[in-house]
Amino acid sequence: MKTFPSERSVQLFLAFALLLNIVFWFSVRDIRQEWGNVPPAPELKYAASYGVGDSSFSYRLNGLMVQNLGDTGGRVTALKDYDYDSLAQWFFVQDSLDPHSSYMPYLAAYYFSAVQNPEKFRPIIDYLKEVGQRPEGEKWRWLAQAVFMARFKMNDMDLALELAEVLAQSEAEDVPAWARQMPVFVLNAKGNKMGAYALMLQILKTGADKMHPNEISEMKKYICTRILDKEDARDNPLCVEQWL
Amino acid sequence: MSLPLVKYALKAAIRDRLIISLLIVILLGCSLSIFLGSSAALEKDQFTLVFAGAGLRFVSVFGLVLFVVFFIRRSFESKDIEFLLSRPISRLSIILSYSLSFSIMAVVMSLAIALAIFSVSPHLFSFGHVVWIVSIAVENIIMVNTAMFFAMYISSAATASMATFAFYILARMMGQLIGIVDSTLVDSSGPYAMALQLVSVITPRLDLMGQTSWLLYGLDNYAMLYYSVVQGAVFSFLVICAACLDSVRRQF
Repeated sequence: MKTFPSERSVQLFLAFALLLNIVFWFSVRDIRQEWGNVPPAPELKYAASYGVGDSSFSYRLNGLMVQNLGDTGGRVTALKDYDYDSLAQWFFVQDSLDPHSSYMPYLAAYYFSAVQNPEKFRPIIDYLKEVGQRPEGEKWRWLAQAVFMARFKMNDMDLALELAEVLAQSEAEDVPAWARQMPVFVLNAKGNKMGAYALMLQILKTGADKMHPNEISEMKKYICTRILDKEDARDNPLCVEQWL
Repeated sequence: MSLPLVKYALKAAIRDRLIISLLIVILLGCSLSIFLGSSAALEKDQFTLVFAGAGLRFVSVFGLVLFVVFFIRRSFESKDIEFLLSRPISRLSIILSYSLSFSIMAVVMSLAIALAIFSVSPHLFSFGHVVWIVSIAVENIIMVNTAMFFAMYISSAATASMATFAFYILARMMGQLIGIVDSTLVDSSGPYAMALQLVSVITPRLDLMGQTSWLLYGLDNYAMLYYSVVQGAVFSFLVICAACLDSVRRQF
């Protein structure tokens, strides 16, 4: 009397199990997990939990996650489809985890700024403004990038001027003259020629002794060729003949 | 303390291929860190360093805990302990000898990690690395002694390992949990909050040790180093005493 199933019946069951797997594979082959857009950022208190209490590890893990958001598993998502409000929250959370790194400001300023609809970038401007005010390293560059975004991409001159004024007041020691002069450029672009002229003149009066002669020359040239019209420039003692 | 017993446990680590296995895992961990770091858009070396530091920290604790727990349980199950007790060697001497040998392994493993961390980004080396590795060595010593304690008390090796890992996660998260209790989000005088406060008294603050930010930016406050070393001594003393108590009270 047989008490065990024969080898042939086991083989049949195995073949049946294999067939079931093949059928199942056909039904799930094309199913992909849906991307639910940028997930809500955690509260600052819990942010380090992602790295099991190690804030720097958490920063780097989250950083890679933010960098690759929407673009994993062969999926590519257009930046215009991202939830920029949630993204801005992530940037602020990340800033609390590591305020020294330039990785997240870089992603914000040079990657996520490429959004097809620049108006979506507005929530991230606040982040760049906050990071850009720090005197350490060359953080002022992120503020300069925010001015660029507001001025040339979002065409919001008031915001650009506000950011440019913050940049001009930066406490960082290595901020170059062109960054300090940013309000002049924005005022000029806004059409406020007199304001731009007065500000540039003020910078020359108060800071010329610390500048290279070539820089002073370039500033004068900017006044004479970009701010003043030809008639005013001709009467202005700052302007020399070859610029007119 | 018995020197032959210390040597015996260290030889067991070599015989069980603990050292070679963990060295291979360290090599793989570094490779994975370099791979992940290279996928970052900026600060690739910093990413590699942080991933290697955080990853190898987990790996070393994981490997050491598994070895200690299974070594202790095997010693009981194969009657090694009973044989040792039949010799002129005290119960306390066995525990202290084991503790010393496991602590030596913890330090050796930490030095191997230090070498790996230095290798992945030698140009980022700073005094912060030295402080980091000292605190990792202290953390490993805490965890091997904790693993020994759990292995003494819990008769199942798997359960003792899980308990030790749970304790490790709890110790790593304790700063976060205390922060929540101290915040206005919860009632800090409620039963759960009080229970957590009580647990935190006998839980080391591993979240304050081995922070990977030290590898990148150094330390602002060197009190952390002092805190790590003192905590290692105080907590290890506690768990060794608890393991000794179990050994003294145990009926063979």
